[in-house]
This record gives sequence, structure tokens and C-alpha cells, in this order.
Amino acid sequence: MANKSFGQKLLGTWNTRTIVAVAIGAALFGVLMNYGGIPVFTNTSLTTAMIVPVIIGAMFGPLPAFVAAGVGNVIADLIGGWGMWFDWSIGNAVAACFVGALPLYGAYITEGVFEVKHAVIYAILCALGNMIAFGVVTPILTTVFYGGDLNVTFLQAFAGSLSNILVEVVIGIPILFLLARRYKARTNLEEE
Amino acid sequence: MNNRMVINYTPGPTLLHKLSGFTKVFLFLVMTVAIIATYDIRILVPLLILNIIEIVSMKPNYKPILIVFAITFVTVTLLGNVMLFLVSPDAGLNNVGGNHILWQGPGRLYISKEFLWYMFVVFIKRTTSFASVMAFALATTPSEFASGLNKCGLPYKVCTIVSLAYRTIPDIANDFVNIRNSMMMRGVEMSKKASVWKRLKNTVYLLVPLIFTAFGKVNDIANAMDLRGYGKHKKRTWFAENEPTKWDKIFRVLTIVLLIATVYYVVMYRFINPWPAKFWCPWLAREEVISVNAIDTIFFMDWFKK
Repeated sequence: MANKSFGQKLLGTWNTRTIVAVAIGAALFGVLMNYGGIPVFTNTSLTTAMIVPVIIGAMFGPLPAFVAAGVGNVIADLIGGWGMWFDWSIGNAVAACFVGALPLYGAYITEGVFEVKHAVIYAILCALGNMIAFGVVTPILTTVFYGGDLNVTFLQAFAGSLSNILVEVVIGIPILFLLARRYKARTNLEEE
Repeated sequence: MNNRMVINYTPGPTLLHKLSGFTKVFLFLVMTVAIIATYDIRILVPLLILNIIEIVSMKPNYKPILIVFAITFVTVTLLGNVMLFLVSPDAGLNNVGGNHILWQGPGRLYISKEFLWYMFVVFIKRTTSFASVMAFALATTPSEFASGLNKCGLPYKVCTIVSLAYRTIPDIANDFVNIRNSMMMRGVEMSKKASVWKRLKNTVYLLVPLIFTAFGKVNDIANAMDLRGYGKHKKRTWFAENEPTKWDKIFRVLTIVLLIATVYYVVMYRFINPWPAKFWCPWLAREEVISVNAIDTIFFMDWFKK
């Protein structure tokens, strides 16, 4: 993965393997969204689903993470049946794009590369991505689509992005280290 | 777990179930656009009634729908409105454009007729949106959804993602329950007994095996699909997409009529002859409406002005 160009890392390679992985990621997103959450606030829960785009992003890049989160959210809404809120789906997908940008700064999980500096960049990107997605994208879309009040939406989005950042950092970083260690054990061949 | 699922995996017997995938997806997309584009109760109520008729005509199992609706009502509408009242009691003035005060509370809190109207319209709008998603979820099977999306112009690889994701959801949900049970048996506390922080840390023990079992299947499925020649050609036909029947044609025409009506409404009432406020209100004449710029209502804009 290290020798690919920036554009290739950004878009990912769309072969059958990526498609299947993104589909399974979307399904996992839907399951975690429906069954793996702890409610905190109106419209928002401490959902563990946002871990899925991190994993997809680590393996395939930001665009696959974006698709997995977007499709996963739509599917989660259809299964849960609580109505489809496009403002939050698009917000989640935008956040996924930032969270899943791991290959762009050199964290190649599938090759076992994930160090402390990558974890720091990852945490910063989590905060930045959630702020953009839920501080700008979602409130605007909520007001435009559903006529929600801007102030209330900002508060909800604030709570939502805080809980997302919490989950992505507290759960995400240990999982990324574990994954990297596991992949490293498999690819233990060195060039002499 | 399964009794909470609303979507069907097998096609049902009624007229709406038998429509082709494209008809349903097209109707749903246009319906969503119509609901999103209008803040007018004169449009939303007919759409709501239409969607309720659709739901009733499919003779669904009402219990999960009503449970989900009750949960959504409590969390989104009740809590949301209490918050709305505390955070911005001016919402009536900002969105409807009038200020008939009914009750003056302490400080900046007050209830106006327009505030109640705003709450009511937003509730109708959200309920209509909910009903349209419900009608769509009840009528459509995953394969029909994917084939309909493909016919709407989405690349077929994305449509495969949709149908494949649906296909794997029951498996992953089973894995999730099994892993959670076995982890709880080993003493990893997930229930409400543990604090939120503890539960958050324990989730790692649950997610890691779940991720490995889920993504462990990727290579097998991808190889099986490659062996069957997936992705070789630019186009793909769908087993679920049938020749349009008489009813399909009728529904497609009705959908196009709805689309034209929505576009006409938006062009007429938003651009050519715009209503001064965002929401229409029966007791305010056009001259009486106070129009407020939405950007000025955000609380942190005040900080910049000072």
C-alpha cells in the first residue's frame, strides 16, 4: 500500500474484495447502530458503529469508508425503521471520510504499521472530521431538509460529535493497535 | 432480535408489494424530495395521509412499527420540543414570522401561537418522513431495492454493496449476539450494572472478535464472486427487476405527477412568489409576516456582532 499514489490511497481500489468488504462493513455498521448503542441525548446515542469506517478506512482508504458509513446508515435506518434522516446519514459519511483517512498519513494497518504518532494524527483527525461533519454539514442539512431549529441542532450535533470522538478514540485506538499487531504477525517476512 | 426488524426479505402478497423495484424506489425518492422541499402543512398532510394509506394497504404487523414510532416520538418530538423551548423560544418568530404571545414566562422564555404552530408543522413533517420510510421498508425486499437503485442510475457495484449488506446482516447480528453472550459468560460486564466508562472499555473485547469474524468472510465471498465472473462486464441485469405491469405504469405516472407538482410548488412559492417566512401559517396574512434571516438566529452570531 505504501507505494501507491495519493489519489489511489484516497479512492481505494474498487475490486471485488473491496466491494465485499464495504458491504460487510455496511452490514456491521447497521447491526452496531441498532444493537450496540448506549443512548445519551435526543436523536443521538453513544454508538459503536463509527468504529466500522475506521477499520474499512484502515484497510481500503477514505472513499470506501465513506460509502460503508453512508450505505450502512441508510440500511440501519431501514432496519430499525425509525425513519431515514439524511442529515445524519450524510454527516456520518463525511465524518467517516476523515476518520478513515489512515493510509493517507502512513498508517498501513494491513502491513502492521501503526505507531504512536499515527494514533495522535488519528485522534486529531477524529476531532476535526466530527467537528466539520456534525458542526457544519448536519446542522445545515437539518435546517434545509427538515426545518429544524439551528440552535437545537447545534447542541445535538455537539453532543453527537463528542460521543463519536469519545468512542473513536477510546475504542478505536486500542482496536487499531490490536489489528496492526495481528497483521504484523502474519506478514513477518523481511527483505534482506 | 428479529421481531424488531421491519424490512421484509420475502415479497408480500398485496398490490404495493408486487410492484417492481424501480417503481418503489422512484416513488420513495420523489416522496422524500417532496417532503424535504416543502414546509407547508397543506402539502404535508395529504402526503402523510397517502403514506398511511400505503402502510395500511399492506396489512403489516403493527406492533414493531408502533413501538418504534413511540420511541421516536418520545426522543425526537417530546425531548426535542422541551429543548427547543429552553434553547430558542424565538423559533416561532424566526420560522413562522409572527409573535402572538400566549404565555410570558420568566426571563426570555415565552410561548407564542407561532411557536406551537412551528412545533406542530415540524412534527407533521417528521412523521410524514417516518411514514414514507416505513411504507418503503415494508414494501421492498433488499434485491428489489438494489435493482431499483441500479435502474435509477447508480453504478451496479454500489447496488451490490446494498444487497450484499442486507444479505449479511442476519449472520452478523447472530455473530454479535453469540460473541456478546460468550463474553458476558467470561465476566465482561456489558449490562447497566457497569458504569458507562467501563462499558465503553469492555466494548473493545466485544468488537475485536466481531470485526475478525465479519471481515474473515471477505476473501471467501470475494473469491466466490470472482469465480462466477462478477465485475467482468460494464452492465448487469437483476433477477428482481421484472417487466413493468399495468400497475407499475400507473404508479410511475402518478410519481411523475408528484414530481412535477413538487417542482412547480418549489418554483412558484420559493422563487417566483416567495412566502416571506419559511413556514406557511393560516392566521398570518402575507403583509403581517416578519421575515428573519436564519443566520442571525444562531446563538454564536451574537458574539461576533459585539
